[in-house]
Amino acid sequence: MISPTEEDFELELRSLHGVVNVGFRYGDKGDVDAVSLVVHGDDVGPVRVLAKQIAALYYPDATVSVEEMKPVAMASHAGGGGSEGARVVLVRAEFNSHEGFCEVHLNVNGRVGVGRSENGPLIGGAEATLDALRQLDFDIPFYLVGSVNVATVRGWPVIVTLRPRANDADRHGIAQAETELVSSAKATLNALNRYLSQLENFS
Amino acid sequence: MTSTAVSLDENYESWLFQAMIDELANNELGIKFIYTVLEHLAKRHDLTDVVAVLEHESLTTQTFRLGGAAVSPEWAARMAGASGVYCEPDVVSPSELDAVRTACQLALSLHVARYTALTDALTSIANRRAFDNFLAESTVRSARYGWAFTLVVIDLKDFKVVNDRSGHEVGDRLLRHFGFALRLSVRQGDLVARIGGDEFAVILNNAEGHEAMGFVERLRENVIKAGESIEFTTGTATSPRDSTDPAELTRIADARLYAKRGIIQR
Repeated sequence: MISPTEEDFELELRSLHGVVNVGFRYGDKGDVDAVSLVVHGDDVGPVRVLAKQIAALYYPDATVSVEEMKPVAMASHAGGGGSEGARVVLVRAEFNSHEGFCEVHLNVNGRVGVGRSENGPLIGGAEATLDALRQLDFDIPFYLVGSVNVATVRGWPVIVTLRPRANDADRHGIAQAETELVSSAKATLNALNRYLSQLENFS
Repeated sequence: MTSTAVSLDENYESWLFQAMIDELANNELGIKFIYTVLEHLAKRHDLTDVVAVLEHESLTTQTFRLGGAAVSPEWAARMAGASGVYCEPDVVSPSELDAVRTACQLALSLHVARYTALTDALTSIANRRAFDNFLAESTVRSARYGWAFTLVVIDLKDFKVVNDRSGHEVGDRLLRHFGFALRLSVRQGDLVARIGGDEFAVILNNAEGHEAMGFVERLRENVIKAGESIEFTTGTATSPRDSTDPAELTRIADARLYAKRGIIQR
């Protein structure tokens, strides 16, 4: 396990600007042989240099990799293989305040599905997303149990819970975006990731 | 942060509470504890994966994964900003997840507080407070058991000129590089500190005065490797031979440094 020195080392890495995760890989002898960092930001170059310097102090032989956090704002992977074709893309999510409905546009391999809900952004975002998936001919045997805004956190993180019609476990999704509506739509897609990846018509 | 009524079974509540108290008593509640709690949670519910997302005002939102394993950038992006503990759905009660998150959050906050209280923000080496504590402890051990250590004080030459001519940004970079060169030059268990603007100090454990020469040579090499051409002067004092009093030891080391630089102390 990590000694107090290693703890401080990890905190020092985590204190670097934009670092959101530090992971270690241990070798056969229990030594750290690889350090991975995930960094939020456009320019990971300076962080990479500093991280290598710091790692050299503690684990001179360890390799250091720095990965940029990829925005998931508009895309939700649903394919286990990760092929380009297996992807549901959230194109647009809007609330029409004039007529009072939410509208979600999804794209799958060039096909666009548009879903609507007359509820507000939080519930309506999830409902419109489910509707859009059904417009794309997906069989979605789930109903919406809840869409909750985690108000204790900055921004608009939303947790969506879907319950299968079959007697199975609930599916949860969480997302944070610039608006509650987009968060709700993305959280719904996240909740369905595993299910969608298993559908034949998806790929 | 909201307070949530937590309902846990007695054994688990007792374990979590006792573990936190133990760590607090040793002043060690920190990142290690976060992994301990995640491991305990995984074991208790036979989980294959657990991730904690925690917030701290001085850090980017942090993710911690079971066993210190890496999190994919995509996953990190998805979870960013939404603090909590995430695992397989419906296996762990929300109440227990909230208790774990709270414990982890406390551990992170205390670790950051402890770290920042004792660390120089610019160079990430020990600050004056940490140095004073460590020197006091070292002299006590030295007086009691006769264990030798050498204090090295270091002064950068013409640092003020660098700052005035090239600006504080260049001066700060130089200090960071010098701090890094210092860390590279010592052994595990030695202490490296920034004790003033351009003044540094090192405590070399189990080292007599002449052993400091090797350290100074390594430092010169590492400063050059860091791409800096700054010169520095050192002064040393060894405990218990020179003194076992922290203030006296520092005064002796300073006097030797000044003597090298041709400065007469008043």
